[in-house]
Amino acid sequence: MNFVYHVLIMSGIYMILCLSLNVMVGYGGLFNIGHAAFYGIGAYVAAILTVKMSVSFPLDLLLSGVITGVFGVIVGFPALRLKGDYLALCTFGFGVVMHTIFNNWVAVTHGPQGIVGVPRPSIFSLPLNSLPSYLLLVAIVVSICFFILARVVDSPFGKSLMAIREDQMAAVAAGKNIAQIKIIVFCVGAFFAGIAGNLYVHYISIADPSAFATDESFLVFTMVVFGGMASMRGSVLGAFVLVIFPELLRFIGIPSFYAAQIRRMLFGFLLVLVILKRPQGLLGKYRF
Amino acid sequence: MRVKTMMFIQLIANSLIAGSIYSLSALGFTLIYGTMRFFNMSYGVTFMAGAYLFYIFKNLLNFPFPLALGLSMATLSFLMVLLDHFSFRRLRRLHAPSWAIVMASIGVAVIIEAFITTLFGSDVRMVRTGIQQGYKIAGATITPTQLIILCVSIVFVWGIWLFLKMTRMGKAIRATANDPHMATVIGIDTEEVFKFVIILGSCLACVSGVLVSLETDIEPSLGQPALLKAIVASIIGGIGNIRGALWGGILLGFVENFGIWKISAGWKDGIALALLLLFILMKPSLFGIEEET
Repeated sequence: MNFVYHVLIMSGIYMILCLSLNVMVGYGGLFNIGHAAFYGIGAYVAAILTVKMSVSFPLDLLLSGVITGVFGVIVGFPALRLKGDYLALCTFGFGVVMHTIFNNWVAVTHGPQGIVGVPRPSIFSLPLNSLPSYLLLVAIVVSICFFILARVVDSPFGKSLMAIREDQMAAVAAGKNIAQIKIIVFCVGAFFAGIAGNLYVHYISIADPSAFATDESFLVFTMVVFGGMASMRGSVLGAFVLVIFPELLRFIGIPSFYAAQIRRMLFGFLLVLVILKRPQGLLGKYRF
Repeated sequence: MRVKTMMFIQLIANSLIAGSIYSLSALGFTLIYGTMRFFNMSYGVTFMAGAYLFYIFKNLLNFPFPLALGLSMATLSFLMVLLDHFSFRRLRRLHAPSWAIVMASIGVAVIIEAFITTLFGSDVRMVRTGIQQGYKIAGATITPTQLIILCVSIVFVWGIWLFLKMTRMGKAIRATANDPHMATVIGIDTEEVFKFVIILGSCLACVSGVLVSLETDIEPSLGQPALLKAIVASIIGGIGNIRGALWGGILLGFVENFGIWKISAGWKDGIALALLLLFILMKPSLFGIEEET
């Protein structure tokens, strides 16, 4: 039973990541392939705040979102001047570099061992030590994130976002402030990735660099493409299916090292296959 | 004072050697982008797979160095052409936007890396052979391996340069890079050209992977930093520009080596990225960037 809770919690965390990435990639057409960097920043901020400064839970959730959002704005500024593929390169570089920073800035991140002993949060002095209670928390946060992001993409703001994706020139001609919109999207995407990082680190109780490598970015990207670009429900479904599916490998009795590699191969294969055969993904509307 | 001068000369030697490998790998990356117009994110794992193939031929099968190098280049090129046939070529036919091809190449990269990890495990393998007695050249200590690295890089760069300038296929490649539609109009089979570019690119990735493996241990995660370096070097020189990639690689070698003189070696990738951002944002490139409309 614990296993089921574990899988559900992880898929909840990935749902937030996918939703936030989908707003950037699917709706905004901003090819961010370094999303794990934001996820990692959120996780490290949460770990540092709780372990070193003993900030309590609801506040540190908000803070890790906000601080990651600030990073999003910082990355967003150079991104303003870049088009599609170049943006992908830059975010890839950003992902690699954040990973190097997590690994090497020992004074703050404790290097490769990571920051250990992050406690489970407690709300109003009610500790969420059991898995079901934590799952409940994750479910609530996921629902809130879904609600907010769905409102964002349905709003006039979301419409202008899609206009930029389709035709930047036309959007400028229609009087849209492209720079502002893109920066906001980066900020929002990073904010929610930070929230996901916070939930992750409180659950796993350790923030170590290996969890936020570039592979993780590709994983989340695959989930978004698989579920469908520019589809909120698609992202939820994509995260859910692709978190649960590899876990089934365990039941066949493959050793965990090989299971991890097979999982990665499956994801790579799936990414290529979806792009070749069904570029709009399972539930998406946007295709080329 | 003398110690400082010696140090300086040594650093210059190290930068040149590292830079020559970067140039070589950037050359392949820029060639692929220049003709096929997409950022090949599987270039890094091609590099890593080259090093592993060399490990198989050289260390496990005990072939001599030139034969092992040739065999790994041939095998890798064959595999990459096959891969292109089943993935990227279909996307090109569908006239998919370049981001879709970039994403597909990421998928390919993940598959290959996972495959090699399954075969060899994630711990490091050694291709190099022990510690060597270095030569003293103008105050810098250079090992025989490093001399081999320099020579092989120069030979390959010259070879590619001559190939592109002199041969019919080389001219076809340059024509396609210049304008694919026009190339088709004058009767160049662009698919054939792409195939050749993939072969050239994989050979270059393979050689630079092998050269790196002569100096450091190899591991499956070798690919991503290598990809980053190739990207940075070719962007510095102006992506798609052959001469630019060469100078970009050398410049990257210098900046990195002089950078880690002052700060610790773990930050190498950070320095590379800083350079990338600087060049993307401030100044397009050394030799002019080809802006797409």
